[in-house]
Amino acid sequence: MPKPLQDEVKQSPYERVLQECLRGELRVVNTGLPQSQKRLMDLLNEEHPHVVCNDGSTHFFKKNELEYLASMLDTDEQRTLVLPMLIELGANQGEAAIICAAEVEEKIVSKALNMPVTREEGMIRIYKPQLALLRKKFKTTTVYVFSPKIVA
Amino acid sequence: MPELIKVRPTKIELVKLKRRLSLAQRVQKIVKDRLSILTMEFLQTAKDTVEAKRKLLDESSKLYKALSVAAGYHGYIAMEKELIASEADLKVIAGSRNMAGVRLPSFELIDNGKPMRGYNLVDTSSWLDRAAQLSEECLRAIVELAELQRNFELLAMEINRTKRITNALEYIVIPRLQATINYLKMKFEERDREEKARLKRVKVLVARG
Repeated sequence: MPKPLQDEVKQSPYERVLQECLRGELRVVNTGLPQSQKRLMDLLNEEHPHVVCNDGSTHFFKKNELEYLASMLDTDEQRTLVLPMLIELGANQGEAAIICAAEVEEKIVSKALNMPVTREEGMIRIYKPQLALLRKKFKTTTVYVFSPKIVA
Repeated sequence: MPELIKVRPTKIELVKLKRRLSLAQRVQKIVKDRLSILTMEFLQTAKDTVEAKRKLLDESSKLYKALSVAAGYHGYIAMEKELIASEADLKVIAGSRNMAGVRLPSFELIDNGKPMRGYNLVDTSSWLDRAAQLSEECLRAIVELAELQRNFELLAMEINRTKRITNALEYIVIPRLQATINYLKMKFEERDREEKARLKRVKVLVARG
Protein backbone atom coordinates (compact mmCIF):
# COMPACT_ATOMS: atom_id res chain seq x y z
CA MET A 1 0.00 0.00 0.00
CA PRO A 2 1.54 3.35 -0.98
CA LYS A 3 2.12 5.65 1.99
CA PRO A 4 1.06 9.27 1.82
CA LEU A 5 3.91 11.75 1.82
CA GLN A 6 4.50 13.08 5.28
CA ASP A 7 5.81 16.48 4.23
CA GLU A 8 3.24 17.23 1.51
CA VAL A 9 1.29 20.29 2.66
CA LYS A 10 -0.29 21.69 -0.49
CA GLN A 11 -3.06 20.00 -2.45
CA SER A 12 -1.99 18.65 -5.81
CA PRO A 13 -3.22 20.61 -8.87
CA TYR A 14 -5.40 17.64 -9.79
CA GLU A 15 -7.10 17.74 -6.39
CA ARG A 16 -7.58 21.51 -6.61
CA VAL A 17 -9.18 21.25 -10.06
CA LEU A 18 -11.41 18.45 -8.84
CA GLN A 19 -12.61 20.46 -5.85
CA GLU A 20 -13.33 23.44 -8.07
CA CYS A 21 -15.18 21.21 -10.51
CA LEU A 22 -17.35 19.82 -7.73
CA ARG A 23 -18.12 23.28 -6.37
CA GLY A 24 -18.93 24.37 -9.97
CA GLU A 25 -21.46 21.53 -10.28
CA LEU A 26 -23.26 22.79 -7.19
CA ARG A 27 -23.38 26.29 -8.64
CA VAL A 28 -24.50 25.17 -12.12
CA VAL A 29 -27.55 23.08 -11.24
CA ASN A 30 -29.80 25.94 -10.21
CA THR A 31 -28.50 28.74 -12.42
CA GLY A 32 -31.33 28.14 -14.87
CA LEU A 33 -33.96 29.20 -12.36
CA PRO A 34 -35.94 32.33 -13.23
CA GLN A 35 -35.19 35.53 -11.34
CA SER A 36 -38.93 36.09 -11.15
CA GLN A 37 -41.99 34.31 -12.46
CA LYS A 38 -44.53 35.94 -14.78
CA ARG A 39 -48.28 35.65 -14.94
CA LEU A 40 -49.78 33.66 -17.80
CA MET A 41 -51.98 36.62 -18.70
CA ASP A 42 -48.92 38.88 -19.13
CA LEU A 43 -47.00 36.26 -21.09
CA LEU A 44 -49.89 35.82 -23.52
CA ASN A 45 -49.70 39.52 -24.33
CA GLU A 46 -45.91 39.53 -24.91
CA GLU A 47 -44.53 39.26 -28.44
CA HIS A 48 -41.68 37.01 -27.35
CA PRO A 49 -42.75 35.51 -24.02
CA HIS A 50 -39.71 34.89 -21.83
CA VAL A 51 -38.26 35.20 -18.32
CA VAL A 52 -34.72 36.09 -17.26
CA CYS A 53 -32.77 33.41 -15.41
CA ASN A 54 -30.39 33.75 -12.46
CA ASP A 55 -27.35 33.57 -14.76
CA GLY A 56 -28.70 36.41 -16.93
CA SER A 57 -29.81 34.15 -19.78
CA THR A 58 -33.37 34.09 -21.10
CA HIS A 59 -35.83 31.24 -20.95
CA PHE A 60 -38.32 31.36 -23.82
CA PHE A 61 -41.83 29.98 -23.66
CA LYS A 62 -43.52 28.32 -26.63
CA LYS A 63 -46.65 30.18 -27.64
CA ASN A 64 -48.58 27.00 -28.34
CA GLU A 65 -47.89 25.78 -24.79
CA LEU A 66 -49.11 29.08 -23.37
CA GLU A 67 -52.21 28.87 -25.53
CA TYR A 68 -52.81 25.31 -24.39
CA LEU A 69 -52.56 26.43 -20.77
CA ALA A 70 -54.86 29.36 -21.46
CA SER A 71 -57.42 27.04 -23.03
CA MET A 72 -57.60 25.08 -19.77
CA LEU A 73 -58.15 28.13 -17.55
CA ASP A 74 -60.58 31.01 -17.24
CA THR A 75 -59.46 34.66 -17.14
CA ASP A 76 -59.13 34.85 -13.35
CA GLU A 77 -57.05 31.70 -13.26
CA GLN A 78 -54.85 33.03 -16.06
CA ARG A 79 -54.09 36.00 -13.82
CA THR A 80 -53.23 33.71 -10.89
CA LEU A 81 -51.00 31.21 -12.66
CA VAL A 82 -47.32 32.15 -12.57
CA LEU A 83 -44.84 30.63 -15.00
CA PRO A 84 -42.56 28.76 -15.26
CA MET A 85 -43.95 26.17 -12.84
CA LEU A 86 -41.23 24.82 -10.57
CA ILE A 87 -40.62 21.09 -10.23
CA GLU A 88 -38.54 20.29 -7.17
CA LEU A 89 -36.38 17.21 -7.11
CA GLY A 90 -36.05 16.13 -3.52
CA ALA A 91 -34.03 13.66 -1.53
CA ASN A 92 -36.27 10.80 -2.68
CA GLN A 93 -35.11 9.88 -6.18
CA GLY A 94 -38.39 8.22 -7.12
CA GLU A 95 -40.54 11.28 -6.81
CA ALA A 96 -40.73 14.97 -7.67
CA ALA A 97 -42.86 17.76 -6.29
CA ILE A 98 -44.49 20.64 -8.10
CA ILE A 99 -44.31 23.80 -6.04
CA CYS A 100 -47.64 25.57 -6.26
CA ALA A 101 -48.82 28.70 -4.59
CA ALA A 102 -52.42 28.47 -5.78
CA GLU A 103 -55.01 25.86 -6.67
CA VAL A 104 -54.68 26.61 -10.36
CA GLU A 105 -51.54 24.44 -10.69
CA GLU A 106 -53.45 21.57 -9.15
CA LYS A 107 -56.12 21.95 -11.83
CA ILE A 108 -53.53 22.03 -14.63
CA VAL A 109 -51.56 19.02 -13.38
CA SER A 110 -54.72 17.04 -12.80
CA LYS A 111 -55.97 17.85 -16.33
CA ALA A 112 -52.62 17.15 -17.95
CA LEU A 113 -52.18 13.81 -16.17
CA ASN A 114 -55.86 12.98 -16.42
CA MET A 115 -56.03 11.96 -12.77
CA PRO A 116 -56.87 13.68 -9.49
CA VAL A 117 -53.93 15.15 -7.57
CA THR A 118 -53.84 16.70 -4.12
CA ARG A 119 -51.87 19.63 -2.81
CA GLU A 120 -50.06 19.17 0.49
CA GLU A 121 -48.06 21.96 2.14
CA GLY A 122 -48.01 23.92 -1.13
CA MET A 123 -46.73 20.99 -3.17
CA ILE A 124 -48.14 18.36 -5.47
CA ARG A 125 -46.19 15.11 -5.26
CA ILE A 126 -45.89 13.05 -8.42
CA TYR A 127 -43.78 10.07 -9.50
CA LYS A 128 -41.20 9.90 -12.28
CA PRO A 129 -43.47 8.34 -14.98
CA GLN A 130 -46.02 11.10 -14.34
CA LEU A 131 -43.25 13.66 -14.41
CA ALA A 132 -42.23 12.46 -17.89
CA LEU A 133 -45.82 12.81 -19.05
CA LEU A 134 -46.09 16.31 -17.60
CA ARG A 135 -42.77 17.42 -19.13
CA LYS A 136 -43.88 16.11 -22.52
CA LYS A 137 -46.83 18.50 -22.44
CA PHE A 138 -45.13 21.44 -20.74
CA LYS A 139 -41.54 21.54 -21.98
CA THR A 140 -40.93 25.25 -21.64
CA THR A 141 -43.47 26.15 -18.97
CA THR A 142 -41.88 23.96 -16.30
CA VAL A 143 -38.34 24.07 -14.89
CA TYR A 144 -36.45 21.79 -12.53
CA VAL A 145 -35.27 22.94 -9.12
CA PHE A 146 -32.74 20.91 -7.20
CA SER A 147 -33.89 20.92 -3.63
CA PRO A 148 -32.02 23.37 -1.38
CA LYS A 149 -32.02 20.58 1.21
CA ILE A 150 -29.53 18.72 -0.97
CA VAL A 151 -27.70 21.67 -2.50
CA ALA A 152 -27.22 23.79 0.62
CA MET B 1 -7.32 -0.75 -3.00
CA PRO B 2 -7.85 2.92 -3.84
CA GLU B 3 -4.82 5.18 -3.97
CA LEU B 4 -4.25 7.41 -0.93
CA ILE B 5 -4.28 11.20 -1.10
CA LYS B 6 -1.01 12.88 -0.18
CA VAL B 7 -1.72 14.70 3.10
CA ARG B 8 0.01 15.35 6.37
CA PRO B 9 -1.19 12.91 9.04
CA THR B 10 -2.68 15.55 11.37
CA LYS B 11 -6.10 15.97 12.94
CA ILE B 12 -6.69 19.18 10.94
CA GLU B 13 -6.11 17.30 7.71
CA LEU B 14 -8.55 14.62 8.88
CA VAL B 15 -11.23 17.26 9.49
CA LYS B 16 -10.52 18.78 6.06
CA LEU B 17 -10.76 15.39 4.41
CA LYS B 18 -14.06 14.68 6.14
CA ARG B 19 -15.40 17.98 4.84
CA ARG B 20 -14.24 17.13 1.34
CA LEU B 21 -15.89 13.73 1.59
CA SER B 22 -19.22 15.25 2.63
CA LEU B 23 -18.98 17.75 -0.27
CA ALA B 24 -18.20 14.95 -2.71
CA GLN B 25 -21.12 12.85 -1.44
CA ARG B 26 -23.49 15.80 -1.75
CA VAL B 27 -22.30 16.52 -5.27
CA GLN B 28 -22.68 12.83 -6.13
CA LYS B 29 -26.33 12.92 -4.99
CA ILE B 30 -27.06 16.00 -7.10
CA VAL B 31 -25.20 14.70 -10.12
CA LYS B 32 -27.07 11.39 -9.93
CA ASP B 33 -30.42 13.19 -9.71
CA ARG B 34 -29.41 15.35 -12.63
CA LEU B 35 -28.30 12.34 -14.64
CA SER B 36 -31.61 10.58 -14.11
CA ILE B 37 -33.50 13.70 -15.20
CA LEU B 38 -31.26 14.19 -18.24
CA THR B 39 -31.71 10.54 -19.24
CA MET B 40 -35.47 10.85 -18.93
CA GLU B 41 -35.47 13.98 -21.10
CA PHE B 42 -33.06 12.37 -23.56
CA LEU B 43 -35.33 9.34 -24.05
CA GLN B 44 -38.34 11.59 -24.51
CA THR B 45 -36.45 13.75 -27.01
CA ALA B 46 -35.30 10.63 -28.88
CA LYS B 47 -38.91 9.44 -29.17
CA ASP B 48 -40.05 12.89 -30.30
CA THR B 49 -37.21 13.10 -32.83
CA VAL B 50 -38.14 9.77 -34.39
CA GLU B 51 -41.77 10.86 -34.54
CA ALA B 52 -40.87 14.25 -36.04
CA LYS B 53 -38.62 12.60 -38.63
CA ARG B 54 -41.34 10.20 -39.66
CA LYS B 55 -43.80 13.07 -39.86
CA LEU B 56 -41.41 15.10 -42.02
CA LEU B 57 -40.87 12.17 -44.38
CA ASP B 58 -44.61 11.60 -44.69
CA GLU B 59 -45.26 15.29 -45.28
CA SER B 60 -42.47 15.51 -47.85
CA SER B 61 -43.71 12.51 -49.79
CA LYS B 62 -47.25 13.92 -49.78
CA LEU B 63 -45.89 17.31 -50.86
CA TYR B 64 -43.90 15.88 -53.79
CA LYS B 65 -46.93 13.96 -54.95
CA ALA B 66 -49.16 17.05 -54.71
CA LEU B 67 -46.53 19.18 -56.49
CA SER B 68 -46.15 16.72 -59.34
CA VAL B 69 -49.92 16.56 -59.77
CA ALA B 70 -50.11 20.37 -59.74
CA ALA B 71 -47.19 20.62 -62.18
CA GLY B 72 -48.87 18.08 -64.42
CA TYR B 73 -52.11 20.03 -64.31
CA HIS B 74 -50.69 23.54 -64.87
CA GLY B 75 -47.39 22.83 -66.55
CA TYR B 76 -44.01 23.72 -64.97
CA ILE B 77 -43.63 27.15 -66.53
CA ALA B 78 -47.13 28.34 -65.64
CA MET B 79 -46.79 27.00 -62.10
CA GLU B 80 -43.42 28.64 -61.56
CA LYS B 81 -44.81 31.93 -62.83
CA GLU B 82 -47.64 31.76 -60.33
CA LEU B 83 -45.42 30.70 -57.47
CA ILE B 84 -42.85 33.49 -57.91
CA ALA B 85 -45.45 35.91 -56.53
CA SER B 86 -46.03 33.75 -53.48
CA GLU B 87 -42.45 33.97 -52.22
CA ALA B 88 -42.38 35.17 -48.62
CA ASP B 89 -39.72 35.63 -45.98
CA LEU B 90 -39.75 33.01 -43.30
CA LYS B 91 -39.68 34.19 -39.72
CA VAL B 92 -38.26 31.82 -37.16
CA ILE B 93 -37.88 32.93 -33.58
CA ALA B 94 -34.79 31.35 -32.07
CA GLY B 95 -34.50 31.42 -28.31
CA SER B 96 -33.21 29.14 -25.63
CA ARG B 97 -34.54 27.38 -22.60
CA ASN B 98 -32.78 25.99 -19.59
CA MET B 99 -33.28 22.41 -18.55
CA ALA B 100 -31.46 21.20 -15.41
CA GLY B 101 -28.43 23.36 -16.21
CA VAL B 102 -28.38 22.63 -19.96
CA ARG B 103 -29.16 25.42 -22.39
CA LEU B 104 -31.32 24.05 -25.19
CA PRO B 105 -32.32 25.94 -28.33
CA SER B 106 -35.95 26.65 -29.04
CA PHE B 107 -37.25 27.49 -32.53
CA GLU B 108 -40.68 28.68 -33.47
CA LEU B 109 -41.94 29.34 -36.99
CA ILE B 110 -43.99 32.50 -37.03
CA ASP B 111 -47.15 32.72 -39.10
CA ASN B 112 -47.05 35.81 -41.30
CA GLY B 113 -50.81 36.02 -40.78
CA LYS B 114 -51.59 36.37 -44.50
CA PRO B 115 -54.81 34.61 -45.38
CA MET B 116 -53.86 34.53 -49.10
CA ARG B 117 -50.81 32.68 -50.36
CA GLY B 118 -49.84 35.33 -52.90
CA TYR B 119 -50.71 33.57 -56.14
CA ASN B 120 -53.77 34.18 -58.25
CA LEU B 121 -56.60 31.95 -57.06
CA VAL B 122 -58.53 32.36 -60.30
CA ASP B 123 -55.80 31.01 -62.57
CA THR B 124 -54.71 28.16 -60.29
CA SER B 125 -56.33 24.94 -59.20
CA SER B 126 -57.00 23.35 -55.82
CA TRP B 127 -54.03 21.03 -56.54
CA LEU B 128 -51.71 23.96 -56.07
CA ASP B 129 -53.55 25.01 -52.91
CA ARG B 130 -53.03 21.52 -51.55
CA ALA B 131 -49.31 21.61 -52.43
CA ALA B 132 -48.94 25.04 -50.78
CA GLN B 133 -50.70 23.84 -47.64
CA LEU B 134 -48.51 20.75 -47.47
CA SER B 135 -45.34 22.79 -48.00
CA GLU B 136 -46.28 24.95 -44.99
CA GLU B 137 -46.77 21.85 -42.87
CA CYS B 138 -43.45 20.53 -44.16
CA LEU B 139 -41.69 23.74 -43.07
CA ARG B 140 -43.18 23.45 -39.60
CA ALA B 141 -41.99 19.85 -39.40
CA ILE B 142 -38.45 20.88 -40.49
CA VAL B 143 -38.23 23.57 -37.80
CA GLU B 144 -39.55 21.17 -35.17
CA LEU B 145 -37.09 18.48 -36.21
CA ALA B 146 -34.18 20.96 -36.19
CA GLU B 147 -34.94 21.89 -32.60
CA LEU B 148 -35.42 18.31 -31.46
CA GLN B 149 -32.27 17.06 -33.16
CA ARG B 150 -30.11 19.78 -31.63
CA ASN B 151 -31.65 19.13 -28.21
CA PHE B 152 -30.95 15.45 -28.69
CA GLU B 153 -27.25 16.12 -29.43
CA LEU B 154 -26.82 18.58 -26.56
CA LEU B 155 -28.51 16.27 -24.08
CA ALA B 156 -26.35 13.35 -25.20
CA MET B 157 -23.18 15.45 -24.72
CA GLU B 158 -24.33 16.58 -21.27
CA ILE B 159 -25.22 13.02 -20.26
CA ASN B 160 -21.72 11.89 -21.27
CA ARG B 161 -20.12 14.68 -19.25
CA THR B 162 -22.33 14.02 -16.22
CA LYS B 163 -21.67 10.28 -16.44
CA ARG B 164 -17.92 10.92 -16.38
CA ILE B 165 -18.33 13.06 -13.25
CA THR B 166 -20.54 10.44 -11.58
CA ASN B 167 -18.05 7.67 -12.37
CA ALA B 168 -15.11 9.78 -11.19
CA LEU B 169 -16.90 10.48 -7.93
CA GLU B 170 -18.11 6.94 -7.43
CA TYR B 171 -14.95 5.05 -8.35
CA ILE B 172 -12.10 7.48 -7.68
CA VAL B 173 -12.79 10.54 -5.54
CA ILE B 174 -15.00 9.08 -2.80
CA PRO B 175 -13.07 5.77 -2.38
CA ARG B 176 -9.77 7.71 -2.22
CA LEU B 177 -11.12 10.07 0.41
CA GLN B 178 -12.58 7.21 2.42
CA ALA B 179 -9.34 5.22 2.21
CA THR B 180 -7.26 8.22 3.31
CA ILE B 181 -9.63 8.98 6.18
CA ASN B 182 -9.44 5.34 7.31
CA TYR B 183 -5.64 5.40 6.99
CA LEU B 184 -5.41 8.56 9.11
CA LYS B 185 -7.80 7.13 11.73
CA MET B 186 -5.71 3.97 11.98
CA LYS B 187 -2.57 6.06 12.22
CA PHE B 188 -4.00 8.11 15.12
CA GLU B 189 -5.21 4.97 16.90
CA GLU B 190 -1.74 3.49 16.49
CA ARG B 191 -0.21 6.64 17.96
CA ASP B 192 -2.59 6.44 20.93
CA ARG B 193 -1.65 2.82 21.53
CA GLU B 194 2.09 3.68 21.34
CA GLU B 195 1.53 6.53 23.80
CA LYS B 196 -0.27 4.23 26.24
CA ALA B 197 2.46 1.58 26.00
CA ARG B 198 5.13 4.24 26.58
CA LEU B 199 3.31 5.58 29.65
CA LYS B 200 2.97 2.08 31.08
CA ARG B 201 6.69 1.50 30.60
CA VAL B 202 7.56 4.84 32.23
CA LYS B 203 5.22 3.99 35.15
CA VAL B 204 6.98 0.66 35.65
CA LEU B 205 10.41 2.36 35.55
CA VAL B 206 9.28 5.01 38.05
CA ALA B 207 7.84 2.31 40.36
CA ARG B 208 11.16 0.43 40.32
CA GLY B 209 12.82 3.63 41.46
